[in-house]
Amino acid sequence: MRLPDDDLSTRVEKSTGGVLSRSLEGFPTSSAKATRRAMFRFATQLASGLFVASRGNASTLLPHRRSSDVRRMVRFPEKRELILLTDRPPQLETPLHYFRQDLTPNEAFFVRWHVAGIPTHVDTRVFRLQVDGHVQRSLSLSLDDLRRRFEPVSVIAIAQCSGNSRSLFEPRVAGGQWRHGAMGNALWTGVRLRDLLDAAGIRAGAIDVSFDGLDEPPLASIPDVVKSLAVDRAREQDAMVAYEMNGEPLPMLNGFPLRLVVPGWYATYWIKALFRVTVLDRPFDGFWITKAYRIPNNPSGTETPEHLATDTVPINRFTVRSIFVRPEPNEQVAMGRSYEVEGVAFDYGAGIRQVEISFDNGAHWTDARLDPELGKYSFRRWRYRWSPLGRGPHRLMVRATNNDGAGQPTHHWNRSGFMRCVIEDVQVNVL
Amino acid sequence: MRGIPALLLVVALGATAGCNARGSVGKRAGEMDMTLPHEPSPVAHPSSPVHSISLPHDEAFAPPGPGRDAFVTACVVCHSPRYITSQPPFSRAVWKGIVQKMIDTYGAHITPTQAAEIVDYLAATNGAHLIGGEGE
Repeated sequence: MRLPDDDLSTRVEKSTGGVLSRSLEGFPTSSAKATRRAMFRFATQLASGLFVASRGNASTLLPHRRSSDVRRMVRFPEKRELILLTDRPPQLETPLHYFRQDLTPNEAFFVRWHVAGIPTHVDTRVFRLQVDGHVQRSLSLSLDDLRRRFEPVSVIAIAQCSGNSRSLFEPRVAGGQWRHGAMGNALWTGVRLRDLLDAAGIRAGAIDVSFDGLDEPPLASIPDVVKSLAVDRAREQDAMVAYEMNGEPLPMLNGFPLRLVVPGWYATYWIKALFRVTVLDRPFDGFWITKAYRIPNNPSGTETPEHLATDTVPINRFTVRSIFVRPEPNEQVAMGRSYEVEGVAFDYGAGIRQVEISFDNGAHWTDARLDPELGKYSFRRWRYRWSPLGRGPHRLMVRATNNDGAGQPTHHWNRSGFMRCVIEDVQVNVL
Repeated sequence: MRGIPALLLVVALGATAGCNARGSVGKRAGEMDMTLPHEPSPVAHPSSPVHSISLPHDEAFAPPGPGRDAFVTACVVCHSPRYITSQPPFSRAVWKGIVQKMIDTYGAHITPTQAAEIVDYLAATNGAHLIGGEGE
């Protein structure tokens, strides 16, 4: 395999940009990407300046929303109207009705960034993916290299934020106040991470592989968003560097031009705008693994406010979940008519074996019908034909069991609002 | 004074980015013909070698309250006020812990005096007393 060797300038872009980003006066010229980065940096500062300068004009600005329960719709580039959680950095939620489709449209796919310096401009002519570190030969690959020199593979997989459904935790916890829409199901196409690592040649003694994207923190003291996987996990069949999402290039806000895909694992590992893969001969010690995204050291990551866990581990694979898509909360359902209750269930890749519905607060459960499986990492759609027998408020519950026999608990909580997995319910009104 | 050249620079670069974006408009229009009416594809044409977006600037306004100046000075540098207004009401103790986390974990440039003012502000504008919970 011939590898390009003519792009030293882009190879060092991220480190150069990182240094320069910490200087308010520096203006990088080493590459187009660095220029874009600096442009964004100044734009951010300008935005902040405008904000401060406009303090005296409160009446011309947005009214304050006191409660997170007031949610408004917003349209960002390459996106349809999504639910606004935060604007800088952007966190946008997918409205529930999009999950009536098996594949979540790119334009409706949720958005979640950690730091304000997100990529807004990528020149694909100079973009390179680096594979380096504890390898026999470092690679610097263009997007064409990825498409032409490696076998393309595809997988349908759910990207789910660690904090999906956090707003339903009780007691409430701080963080993005998502309902169920911090996830999406997509067909990802790209190259196996394993093929990239094999092309570089992992040297003996490798332990972890780290992944870095183009996003950059607004302060030097904020740790860059870098995640890692153990070498064995990184080399598993399913991990992928994706250049397409549902048959199209990724939207910028979902990680154009490349995104790491780790099926069955939380999206915190799915580094967006991935530009660097580094093999390490020591355990990765970055903030976003050793301090953030930690869960209590038990399978569902559960603890209580009274007894917070002291033994924690990095978050990893999904729990078993099932949610209602129809009816939506507080929907009005017609008495005497057949209504198709519908939802999606999923897990970490064992596959969903059974979904059950209860109409009497969990005293009795009845099987829902499962649609054909689209892949073990995909949504598994379920349906139930319901004919309401009485008027008034009704509470429906749903629970799933996977092929490993794992089900869903009635109680689950942790301080971070991660890995929600409780039996979900929905309240409807029969008229 | 340094802000003025920076502003000019941003304007100039913005114009450059605008040219890049306009370069693909013709192709995007052609693509839109193939999509459903009233739902034009918002995706840039994949054949364009340069992919750019312009983020909307639509920040929440920080509500009035004691300590607001400290909040605007120290917090909004890194994130929009919606990081506060999108949260449920929390007790003063929780807000104090969050401010301390911003300082200790993320290196926020916040003096002890500012920190106290910011906690006052968060507790006053999004405190648990607003939902009948723990008071000041």
